[in-house]
Amino acid sequence: MGSRVFLDIVDPWINWDWLSTHVPYVLGALKDHVQLTVIAVAAGLLISLPLGLLAHRYVYLRAPVLGVFGGFYTIPSLALFAALVPYTGLSGTTAEIPLIGYNVLILVRNVMVGLDAVPNDVLDAADGMGYRRFPRLLRIELPLALPAIFAGLRVATVSTIGIITITAVIGIGGLGALIYKGLIENFHTPLVVGMALCVVLAFAADLGLVGAERLTLPWSRTR
Amino acid sequence: MSLLRQVWSWFFNSAHWHGSNGIPVRLAEHVQISAESVVIGAAIALPVGILLGHYGRFGNLAINISNTGRAIPSFGLLVVAFQIFGLGDGPIILALTALAIPPMVTNSYVALREVDPDVKDAARGMGYRDLAQLLRVELPLAVPLIMAGIRTSAVQVVATATLAAIIAGGGLGRYIVDGYATQKYDVMVVGAVLVAALALATEVSLWGLQQVLVPRGIRLLKAPASRKGTTFKTA
Amino acid sequence: MIRKTGSTWFIAALTVLVTAAVACGGTTSPGTTSKGTITVAGFNFPESSILAELYGQALAHDGYTVNYKLLLGTREVVAPAIKSGQIDLYPGYAATELEYYNSGAGEATGDVTATTAKLNGHLQSLGLEALTPSAAVDQNAFAVTKATATKYSLTKLSDLTPIGNQLVLGAGPECPTRPFCQPGLKTTYGITFKDFKALDTDGPLTRAAFKNGSIQVGLVFSSDADLNQLGLVVLQDDKHLENADNVVPIIRQTVATSEVSTVLNKIDAGLTTADLVTMNGQVELLHQDADAVAAAYLQQHKFFS
Repeated sequence: MGSRVFLDIVDPWINWDWLSTHVPYVLGALKDHVQLTVIAVAAGLLISLPLGLLAHRYVYLRAPVLGVFGGFYTIPSLALFAALVPYTGLSGTTAEIPLIGYNVLILVRNVMVGLDAVPNDVLDAADGMGYRRFPRLLRIELPLALPAIFAGLRVATVSTIGIITITAVIGIGGLGALIYKGLIENFHTPLVVGMALCVVLAFAADLGLVGAERLTLPWSRTR
Repeated sequence: MSLLRQVWSWFFNSAHWHGSNGIPVRLAEHVQISAESVVIGAAIALPVGILLGHYGRFGNLAINISNTGRAIPSFGLLVVAFQIFGLGDGPIILALTALAIPPMVTNSYVALREVDPDVKDAARGMGYRDLAQLLRVELPLAVPLIMAGIRTSAVQVVATATLAAIIAGGGLGRYIVDGYATQKYDVMVVGAVLVAALALATEVSLWGLQQVLVPRGIRLLKAPASRKGTTFKTA
Repeated sequence: MIRKTGSTWFIAALTVLVTAAVACGGTTSPGTTSKGTITVAGFNFPESSILAELYGQALAHDGYTVNYKLLLGTREVVAPAIKSGQIDLYPGYAATELEYYNSGAGEATGDVTATTAKLNGHLQSLGLEALTPSAAVDQNAFAVTKATATKYSLTKLSDLTPIGNQLVLGAGPECPTRPFCQPGLKTTYGITFKDFKALDTDGPLTRAAFKNGSIQVGLVFSSDADLNQLGLVVLQDDKHLENADNVVPIIRQTVATSEVSTVLNKIDAGLTTADLVTMNGQVELLHQDADAVAAAYLQQHKFFS
């Protein structure tokens, strides 16, 4: 394969010189990426919780909710980002709308599954103790559904971190801007750094969520 | 003309159904790179996952490697493949195969682990030896979850294959990338619609295949469980 | 007393996170007085990043807060962005800008002053302005490999006319719609290619396509520094398809104060085509970064004194 020839010999996979002089640039990209991720996942959850609750209670809502968000999920992110640009500009909003939409699908399903899995005898016991609908939801059902919700959060977060890189094509990108720069300038270092930080970020976020789950659900520590 | 009207009439323009940038060619390219990636991925992932699940060893390692795989951004993987191997379908299929493997490994490992130990006991009691037990008892029971993993992989690969256009690949992603570069929104929407349709068709046809492959008795037993394994989006 | 359950902590933590993320998103107010914020954008090829950095760093040195949106995209993406005010400034190329903003009316000529004047005529109503063009020029150029040139005895573009239907053209996806690209080759030279491959705008994809033979003719830029090293030969534009593509800042009128204009014009006055080639070489061949190359240039030409 003669294709190795076009790689410039002076271009190592990590050029430490470049890295040491570009720390603010790399950290800025990381900060952008974290911000985009947090907003996408948090907003997705804030929408999925009530939506999932409603779909859990009113079974006829399930098909439409899953249908709409499921359909949205099949649209490739690149197409959505590009198509939103004339409406919401080259801004974070353009990046967030598809990301939030994807996360709602993942999370709403997990909210529903989690709530469905609450055993009926627990609900009966709660009713017997005098809980009314909303307090029962908040104090009994949601906590029991949290493991499923956390599982969904972990998938949504790692998925979001990966998809954000694609927004580099519309001038945003977060860590994806490093990857895109590596492509256009035929330069290895920003590409490698961008990808490595994505992986590190994904792992850190996953571990953070596992830790958060242990904290909020003391009874799961014995698992 | 409104955008929807433009998209509609784009489909009815016969010029768009011919030539190297026509719908049939781009669709065929997309299906080809997706199918090759999933098949090669399955050839690697399924034996690994099944054997690990059967012997119950190194499961955590397998799942951790899978999770690492999920954390790698697919866009970056495609660019790396280009920078190492250059242009063409080969590097793209390499990157997409790497993406296809994790869900299939995880699902097939879990599928084999979840086979009811009583069933395995009964099989051993009946005289089944190791390989026969695996093939004739465990695998049929594991098929629903394994197929769910293949389905997840395939739909994910179809969606991610759109990114190949960023590194001069073919496929339906070309409509999206070229449309954006020239700000032709009808072309972009055409690309989006076609990929979404292809992803749905992939999901439906693999679900149909699953129905065919699962033995009737198990299908009746296990109907609800086969939805397990949340889909994971990489593009 | 019922203890706070997990779900309450959860929702509380969520609210804190979202608030923090949104709050951190806001631009931090500058401690020292700034003369204002300017957003500079660049096209999706390295030379544009270099030029954008030149403008941006000079303005930053002069006291402005500069935001960069480099590698933003093709002109079809950048122009709407400046029209809507999402960016304030980008380094343009006079003749190609004119043919974009006049929807391909064919007004551009080899005379940069006339071209820029016509360009300003079209930009006026959009609230935009083209400042003083530089002497530095970067035009579209079409290259072939040395082997192809020998095989078909090619030295100039009109040599392609009889054999175009055996060759594949490679360029960015915008080429089939640009008057100085594929359509121009058709009308000025009568060349019809066998096929067109969408790659990138004078980037690694185009070079790789030359290498593996999937294209025979490719779009490069006249200021590229690595063509020789890659064994590529530029075909002479004997019928003058390309016009005065001098570097010129395209800026929003509200941002084009006399101070900003002075800074930018000063840079462009000193910029030559040879400078472009040198800086491109540093980025393309030596893998230095656009910001470092621009900073070195500004240092060397005493813009920071």
